[in-house]
Amino acid sequence: MSEYSIINTRAPRLDAPDKATGRATFIDDLNMPGMLFGAILQSPLAHAKILNIDTSRAKKLPGVKAVVTAEEAGLVKYGVSPARYDETLYCHEKVRYVGDEIAAVAAVDLETALEAVSLIRVDYDDLPALFTIEEAMVEGAPALHEGFPQNICAEVHQEFGDVEAAFNECDLVRTDKFISKRQDAAFIEPHGCIADYDLSGHLTLHTSTQVPHYVMRTVAMVMGLPVGDVRVVKPYVGGGFGPKAEATPLEMSACILSMKTVRPVKMNYTREQVFLHSRARHQFIHTMTTGVKKDGTLMALKNECYLDGGAYTSFGIATVYYAGSLLGGPYKLPNMKYDGWRIYTNKPVCGAQRGHGGVAARAAWEHQLDIIAEELGMDPIELRLKNVMVAGDTTCNELNMSSLGMKECVEAVRQGSKWNAKRGKMPRGKGIGMACGFFVSGAGYPIYRSDTYHSTVLIKLSEDGGTVNVYTGSAEIGQGSDTTMAMIAAEALGVRLDDVRVASGDTEFGVDLGAYSSRQTLMTGHATKEAAEDVKRQVLEVLSEKLNTPVDGIDIKDGLIIFKSKDVDFSAIRARYIKEHRGWSDLPRGNDLTFREAARTAYLARGSIVGTGKYKPPELGGKYKGAAVGTSPAYGCSAQVVEVTVDMETGKITVDKMTDAHDCGFAINRTSVEGQMQGSLCMGLGEAMFEEVKFDEDGRILNANLGEYKIPTALDMPNVEAIIVESNEPNGPFGAKEVGEGAIIPTIPAILNAVYDATGVRINELPLTPERVYMALKAKVEKGDTRD
Amino acid sequence: MKRLITLTVNDKKYEVAVEPNMTLVDLLRYELGLTGTKKGCEVGDCGSCTVIMDGNPVNSCLVLAVQANGRDILTIEGLETDEGLHPVQQAFVDKGAIQCGFCTSGMILSAKNLLDRNAKPDEAEVRMAISGNLCRCTGYQKIVEAIKSASGWREGSGKSHE
Amino acid sequence: MLLPKFDFHEPTTIEEACQIMAELGQKAKLIAGGTDLIVNMKRKVLSPEHLVSLSRIDALKNVDLSDGPLRIGACVTAAALAESEGIKRTFSAFSKGASVLGTPLIRNLATIAGNLVSARPAADLPPSLMAYGAKVVLKKSAGERSVALEDFFRGPGQTVVGKDEILTEILIDKPLGYTGAGYIKLGVRKTLEISLVNVAAFISLDSQDGSIQRARIVLGAVAPIPIRVPSAEQILVGEKPTETLFVRAGETAAQDSRPIDDFRGSAEYRRDMIEVLTRRALEMAFNEARSHE
Repeated sequence: MSEYSIINTRAPRLDAPDKATGRATFIDDLNMPGMLFGAILQSPLAHAKILNIDTSRAKKLPGVKAVVTAEEAGLVKYGVSPARYDETLYCHEKVRYVGDEIAAVAAVDLETALEAVSLIRVDYDDLPALFTIEEAMVEGAPALHEGFPQNICAEVHQEFGDVEAAFNECDLVRTDKFISKRQDAAFIEPHGCIADYDLSGHLTLHTSTQVPHYVMRTVAMVMGLPVGDVRVVKPYVGGGFGPKAEATPLEMSACILSMKTVRPVKMNYTREQVFLHSRARHQFIHTMTTGVKKDGTLMALKNECYLDGGAYTSFGIATVYYAGSLLGGPYKLPNMKYDGWRIYTNKPVCGAQRGHGGVAARAAWEHQLDIIAEELGMDPIELRLKNVMVAGDTTCNELNMSSLGMKECVEAVRQGSKWNAKRGKMPRGKGIGMACGFFVSGAGYPIYRSDTYHSTVLIKLSEDGGTVNVYTGSAEIGQGSDTTMAMIAAEALGVRLDDVRVASGDTEFGVDLGAYSSRQTLMTGHATKEAAEDVKRQVLEVLSEKLNTPVDGIDIKDGLIIFKSKDVDFSAIRARYIKEHRGWSDLPRGNDLTFREAARTAYLARGSIVGTGKYKPPELGGKYKGAAVGTSPAYGCSAQVVEVTVDMETGKITVDKMTDAHDCGFAINRTSVEGQMQGSLCMGLGEAMFEEVKFDEDGRILNANLGEYKIPTALDMPNVEAIIVESNEPNGPFGAKEVGEGAIIPTIPAILNAVYDATGVRINELPLTPERVYMALKAKVEKGDTRD
Repeated sequence: MKRLITLTVNDKKYEVAVEPNMTLVDLLRYELGLTGTKKGCEVGDCGSCTVIMDGNPVNSCLVLAVQANGRDILTIEGLETDEGLHPVQQAFVDKGAIQCGFCTSGMILSAKNLLDRNAKPDEAEVRMAISGNLCRCTGYQKIVEAIKSASGWREGSGKSHE
Repeated sequence: MLLPKFDFHEPTTIEEACQIMAELGQKAKLIAGGTDLIVNMKRKVLSPEHLVSLSRIDALKNVDLSDGPLRIGACVTAAALAESEGIKRTFSAFSKGASVLGTPLIRNLATIAGNLVSARPAADLPPSLMAYGAKVVLKKSAGERSVALEDFFRGPGQTVVGKDEILTEILIDKPLGYTGAGYIKLGVRKTLEISLVNVAAFISLDSQDGSIQRARIVLGAVAPIPIRVPSAEQILVGEKPTETLFVRAGETAAQDSRPIDDFRGSAEYRRDMIEVLTRRALEMAFNEARSHE
């Protein structure tokens, strides 16, 4: 049993009843008086010069209120990282992918807006289009962006220790290549927004986003508005997983159209447009060379990676760094060299997706470690245990593991999966595999260079009683952060969960960098805890004054005031409260002073009781170029075991069972932690086995829908035995750290390793469709390799 | 040209004039204000627009409003009673089966329909019944657990189907 | 996504529907479940001026399992087919096909006639129906005709249905004696899949332990239309069913088919899967045939 009343329980989510009854409002559920509807014209060509744009017919269509192109919107460059702003809201000289935005229309209804879009005439002059890394990197290839020869959007070269020297000391050095595929986050709610520019010059953007704060900044910059005049409000969001972590042309189109018309403008992406906007997982091509000693001691890793970035940068600079830095742990690795290149191609833009940059890298490496274990004659688990880091260790790229239950996770899945009884004893066609991983609990630095707090939280007690109102700019996107903050506030303040209300996702509530890099539990959690403690202190101070008892002799627990001394007389407070509430039916009674009475007393003494909290990580990481990417105040980690059955004649894989142990530091809400684990593994399963965005020869997506972009259904996903490991993170609020992304990291390699165990065939390319598995099996037979 | 249709939604009779090219989901959401029915793909892949029409769960994005003329429609808003949440809704709340909530309406309706036909489904039947409802958040496990736990509430009441 | 504009017609009898189709001809499309048509219209692949709905014609919603051939009305849904115990007992492979079509939600709308006339090469109902030797009834004001399903498809989205004709009924003779069938769909996921390859097989034995009298093998998703493989069928006829025989039939089916590469799968994989799935479907058919009666 824990010492806590609220946290570490399985409290139902605050938003669940509204979501279970259809009451919860998502963006497309909202309407405003006088609202117009917007639509975007997107390029049908992958690479072409724009010769002329004629909007005259669209403008003349009855019902059309505004048509905007680059001429009206201007050419303010924006993007994710200020170091690489390479997008303008609308294309002006050329288009760079099928889906690139050219113009937008606002009209009285969607039908009219779409018709107007179809009336815009654009004359193009085709340019050669580049669809692969190889084509794009050819010397002298046409450049997507001026000043980027060979279409190298970003490159990273890092070496920690001396890799070549270390290889010379190794007993085994091997090199493997690994290819993943472009993916889509496939959240179920497409992006949508309503922009509302009012007559006093204030712009309010309601939008389905993970990051109200960054959207506010980008919108203000691109629209040329003072940042204080832009407010971003997030309704309930139907999933994000990364691609909703940046401002979109949809949002900015709605804003400019609203500014032109001074009316609210609603816009939605269709599912196809969600795929075209993308900003989801890159394709990664890793070549890894790993050296080990005979006893399994890891000596060095050389990691070379090419990322197919699509037409613009988006999060890509961070992605290409993460694809190297996130291999620094969770194993002791003294020497690591990383060379990464992100390449522009004429395809939709890739960005951040759950496990940002680390998923393919981890898959490649954990798959290779499995091969190495076999070559050394070691159990894969033993190889990992031989090398795991422990709390207090620092990686060669200077990431500090302030807590790390990696060993505990490995042991937990070994037991939980009955690994020892199964490994090596399963019939042909059945297999078991494992892998590990770790991930940040919030990026150590904001996306733009700044000394900003990463999170500020404000808690105000209702003047008329004990309701605790938490105001935060953080983003509830389905992961349960509102409930987490309510639980942290309730625990820190000593009230019941029912007494807490959370208002979130609004830039007016303060600064919060939002829901990305698994940051909110730790960072917003810290700020919430501090704000709650601030409120508590104020209430206790007033009680101390009024009751003439020392502050440290009073505490609040479960909504009641606890006095150390038995002879504190609070009858005057109660009498006044009762007098103020004549006719009320729920007057406080009993032997304890209630928080409601205490809060009222505090208000009467001091006015509104407001507490504030803030959080910013200390300076983290090394001094080398790119050292910021991968830093975090804490790291979550996990180990997974997967069992599969492979139909050896068709190549079709069934995942039978998954066992996952995750070190989340300390679980604020145990049900939510399990939910993140299960959801992460499901996404990992999809990416491992089914998911790939495919293109035709003209750069058009062939499967921009959820029928043919195949995410797991309820029939594809097995049950997960979810084991929560708690290492008590010193840098986390109540010891908490991440779970939302780290849990996806080991899934793909655990499946790859299980498939090898089942089939005897190593597959270095995703996804593991029946065809890919079958072809690998067939190739093995044709090579005459009969080893099982 | 608009056509006058009558349909029953959540036991309430509506008479509305609709264009033939309006889908049932758009009628429910934009004309009747029943926004609990969601739109995730609009082509019948995701199941977030699931409603129960004449006793069968269907993708309301694939049904024309005019085709719903004379039909009986149950949406997520119709599940609550004076006693509170429907047992399936309550189980989704209690078991942590809801994350972003965007698939939830459809998921609950598919589950409710299953339990109406099969009071004691096994896990395979539960998974089959929700296999047209995509969820990207939960990995389905807590949804399955919720449906299984909700099936307990009918114990002894026998099958209501056929 | 908005649908293009159209006029909507809702006849309540087959005769009325025929009349409307006779008048409107190519300007009209029939709509039954709409799971294919509505999607194509939203994507602007099709934009007919008129939609003629069949869903108010009660005569098209019957399944008649009594004497004579099984008669299925055009508007019977895949869900109704999959749930029918009678169909499951007598036409297991067809029942299987209906039960793996789309998703549970799609099956509640999608109709048998829609699945046939949309003529998608990977559709789930045609292979088993062809294996059972099904016929379809096409009606127009001037009369009606019946067409064997194997003569029905012309190409992707193309059938022999005339612009003024309506597919009203599907007829399948009940298999007699020691007969059995199997249907296998191979997709990437377990549901919500377009088949990479699907195979239906039907055999009849002259006695419980006897030789194969008749055989039909139908392949889907490997040609513009579902196809029979006469060469593989001939290998079976007159022979005692054995594993080796089924392997040979599978090999022949694979050799004699011409699948293509597309983004869903390669020709090579499809050809190899024809071999595996044909053998497996024959095994299913044989096991059922042996246990019948």
